[in-house]
Formats: sequence, C-alpha cells, structure tokens
Amino acid sequence: MSARRSVILFWQLLILVMLLTVWQWGFEWSKAVLPRAYVPTILDPYFIAKPSTIWDSFLRLGCLKHIGGFVGCLHSDDNNLWFATLVTLKNTWWGFLFGSASGVAAGLVLGRSILLARIVGPYIVALNSIPRIAIVPLIILMFGLGDLSKIATAWIVVFFVVFFNTFEGTRAVDRDQIAAARMLGASEWAMLRTVVVPSALAWVFASLMPAVSFALIGVIVGEFIGAERGLGKLIIEAEARANASEMMVVILVMMVLGILLAFVVRRLQSHLLRWQPQFEMHT
Amino acid sequence: MTLAAVSGRSPASLTADAGRASARTRISAAGLIKRFAARGGELTAVDNVSFEVREGEFIALLGPSGCGKSTILNIVAGLLPRSGGRVLIDDDTVEAGKVNRKVGYVFQRDTVFPWRTVEANIGYGLEIAGVPKADRAVRVARAISAAGLTGFGDSFPRTLSGGMRQRVALMRTLIMEPEILLMDEPFGALDTHTKLDMHKTLLEIWERERQTVLFVTHDLGEALTLASRIILLSARPGRLKEDFDVSFPRPRDPVALRETAAFGELYSHIWHSLGEEFRRTKADRP
Repeated sequence: MSARRSVILFWQLLILVMLLTVWQWGFEWSKAVLPRAYVPTILDPYFIAKPSTIWDSFLRLGCLKHIGGFVGCLHSDDNNLWFATLVTLKNTWWGFLFGSASGVAAGLVLGRSILLARIVGPYIVALNSIPRIAIVPLIILMFGLGDLSKIATAWIVVFFVVFFNTFEGTRAVDRDQIAAARMLGASEWAMLRTVVVPSALAWVFASLMPAVSFALIGVIVGEFIGAERGLGKLIIEAEARANASEMMVVILVMMVLGILLAFVVRRLQSHLLRWQPQFEMHT
Repeated sequence: MTLAAVSGRSPASLTADAGRASARTRISAAGLIKRFAARGGELTAVDNVSFEVREGEFIALLGPSGCGKSTILNIVAGLLPRSGGRVLIDDDTVEAGKVNRKVGYVFQRDTVFPWRTVEANIGYGLEIAGVPKADRAVRVARAISAAGLTGFGDSFPRTLSGGMRQRVALMRTLIMEPEILLMDEPFGALDTHTKLDMHKTLLEIWERERQTVLFVTHDLGEALTLASRIILLSARPGRLKEDFDVSFPRPRDPVALRETAAFGELYSHIWHSLGEEFRRTKADRP
C-alpha cells in the first residue's frame, strides 16, 4: 500500500468513527451542555436511533441472538430480515433482467428503423413523462400484492432508462463500420449482431448501472404501497411502531444490496467492454 | 528507361504491365453522374465520367480533394446511388445497397472493429460466411504473418498504431480473396514512413495475386509507386482529365523507385497537369 493510500484510508476511518460517535452520544452530550432550545433535534434517537440500538435491532430482526433462532429464521417464511432480503433481491433482479432485456430489444429495433421510431416516438415520450411512482397503485391493482406487481414496477422503471440509451447507442454506430461489415458479406441480421450490438453495448451499460439502482427503488416503492413481504414491507411495519432502529437496520441492508447489485453489473461490464481502454485493468 | 536500374534485378525476371491491354474488362463506368443536394440547390460532384478497368490492372484514381474520386469509388462499390450513367462489374449493373461478393473495399477511415481482437477482425468475413473455425484459424494466421502482425493476434485494436490497424483492415478485406479491390485513400492518414511500409506490403501482395484494383488517392507519389495506370480527374465537378500509363517494371521497391529518373520525369509531367487542378480547387474556395 502506498503512503497516499494509507493517508486516504486513515481519513476515511476517522470520518466513520467520528460519525458513529456523534450519532451514538451526540444528542446526550449536547443536551448536557447546551440550553434546551439549542439541542439539535436531528440527533434525537427517537428519529435516527443510535448505532447501539441499531445493532441490537439487527441481532433481533436477523435472529442472531442464538444459533438455533438463526437456523429457524432461514427456514421460515414469515417476513424476517433474511427472508425479506431474499424476496426483495429476487424481485429486483427479475425486474432488472426483464426491464433491461426488453429495453435493449426495443432500443435496437427502433434505433435501426427510422420509420418505426417516427411512428411510435410520441407515444414513448408521453409514457415516459408519467411519473413512474404514480402508476404503482395501478400496477398493484392489476397484479395483486404478490411478487408480480413488484417485478412489474421494477420493469417499467428500468425499461425506459435502458431503452433510451440503447436507442441512442444504436443511432451512434459508425456508418463506415456498418458499410465495412456489409462489404465483408454481412447480412442485416449478422451486421446487427456483430456490429450494432457490440458498438451500442457501451451505451447500454452506461444505463445499466443506474438501472439496477432504479430496479431496487421500484421494488421497494411497490412494497411500500402494497405488499405481503419484502424489505419495504419491513420498513412500513417498523414505521407503524415508530421504531427508528428497525428502519435503520433495513435501510442499511438495502444499502448493502445496492452495492452488491452495482458490483455485479460493473463486473459484467468490464468483461464485455474489455476492448475499451477504461476497462483495460480488469482484463 | 533502364528497367534494371529501377529495381536492381535482372531484366529477365521483370514483368511489365504492358500487354495486359487485351485482358477482359472488369469494371466499366459510362457517363457517371452524381449530384448531391446542397444549400439552395444541387451540387454536381461527378460529371459524366467514363472509364474502364481491365483484369489485373492497378488503377489509381487521382485528383485534388473534393473532385469526387471517393464518390466514384463508392458508387462502384454499391455504397452510394448514382444520379446518372451506368456502372458494370463484369456483366452486372451495380446497384446501391447490393453487395457484390467479388468486390473488396478498404476504407480511408479506421473501420477496424474495436471490440474484436486482431484475429477476430481479420477472420470476420470468414466467420460471417460460416467457414469452420479450424480452417479460419489457418487462413487468419497466414494473413497475420503476411501483414507483419505476428504476435499481435489476440491484441485489441486500441493497442495498435494507426499503420498496424490499417494492416488489419487490409487483411480483413484480402482474406476474402476479392477479385476486385476498391481502396479509398487507405493510407491517407498515415505518416510518410508508415505509408512506404504499407506500399511495400501492398505491392508484395498485389504483384503475387494481381487483383483488379481501383485505388483512390490525392498523392501523386503514391499513385506512381503502386499503379499501372493513373486516371486523373479535374477539380469539382469531377471530370476525366487525362489517362497515364505507369509502366515502371515490377516488382517495384517503393523507396528505390522514387530515386529513378523515370519516376521523376513522369512525376513532373503529371504534376504539371495536377497542379492546374489544385489551383482551380483553391480558386473555387470562397
């Protein structure tokens, strides 16, 4: 490790320790020192909990108080922390997969056909202008409280993001490269597969990083509005009991999920785009 | 002209391009016209150009920038529709958008696929055509060594120099064994030294395989080095101006050839004619 890196790491750890310290004891300290009117209510554990109580709630929600409970939780299908995480992850992944697959397909087709793009263009712009969250209740009405409505919500959020990027990427393909492929005997289909798709892939991946986060947001919003299980449902339940520490536990789990999903997409990206200089180090 | 002095080889081994006049016509353009829509009207880029290219000829289409020479090439390749006239390859009329399997094309711009390795780039056409992997590997390996790219087979194009990338583009086309080769200023973006290297490689290949070549360039030295005949176009609108036979003996050495008296003579002769067109191009500019 170079000196520079250890300096960076030192400061990062210091900031973490300071944040945790203020979070844990800041409210009590300021209450002891400051006049009542100046005590920062934002630090009130009623709203933001405390690292110690969050840890405690984590052990309880995650059935980690004793081994037997943990094993029991893994095998039960009431909405405990692990079960809820798995459900949310699963729905996010399927929504992301369907959303990006259909977005790429639609983007490629409309990107290659100017006529079709002109015809359906206004409809796509109109649909895209609807705030996605507004139609979540409608989706739940249609698909019920189960997983399907969550997958559909994630799908509709992901689709447009990926579609627009794929469309632009398809339009930006080098015309001379297309001509070169043609002169080398490529049919329209072969050219699409061997030139347009790989060339547009950089654009597609630029949208997949935000898309995977959007998929997670979509699923959680769906779970907020109407669900039987999942991490969003856990938050709503904790809110009903005004339990900030439980909400914090779920939020932190969601953060880990978000990082994990972004990491997977990033690895896929650096493999498929290894011909681009910025991904050289991963080859 | 002393042939032996040019290449330093014995006259017996020399094959001049003369005597090929009786060979069959491969490309024939008659009354070719191309107009483009321009601001407030039409711009005539190519005006009534007719020429013929015979089997095994290496024709350089020479002219100042904007004279329509690349346009002519693109029409012959079927990449661009024409506004008038006719183009035949063998006995088939060229139609825009229809690819002729006998024709290979090398672009001026770098059109190597950056997401494919050197091997995968060169093998592209064979892969599309469904040539079995093992067979393809053998032919690609041969092409790589012919292009002097040994050791770079699994490199991605971004790690190569401009000259090496253009070698990949050249071999990607040549591996398809086109009978007719169309080249649009393929070495235009390269520095002088790299260009001479490319001339050497191209001459080695062409002098062995004798494809029919139509080569667009604005570089007189390049045209004289490579071609067996030079077709000189006028400044815009492009019209046929003159036709020169370039009968330097082969095999040619691009460096040694430039030092010969014959090269110098023909150079200044054509330069005189080309210079007039350069001046006209300049005068045209607002």
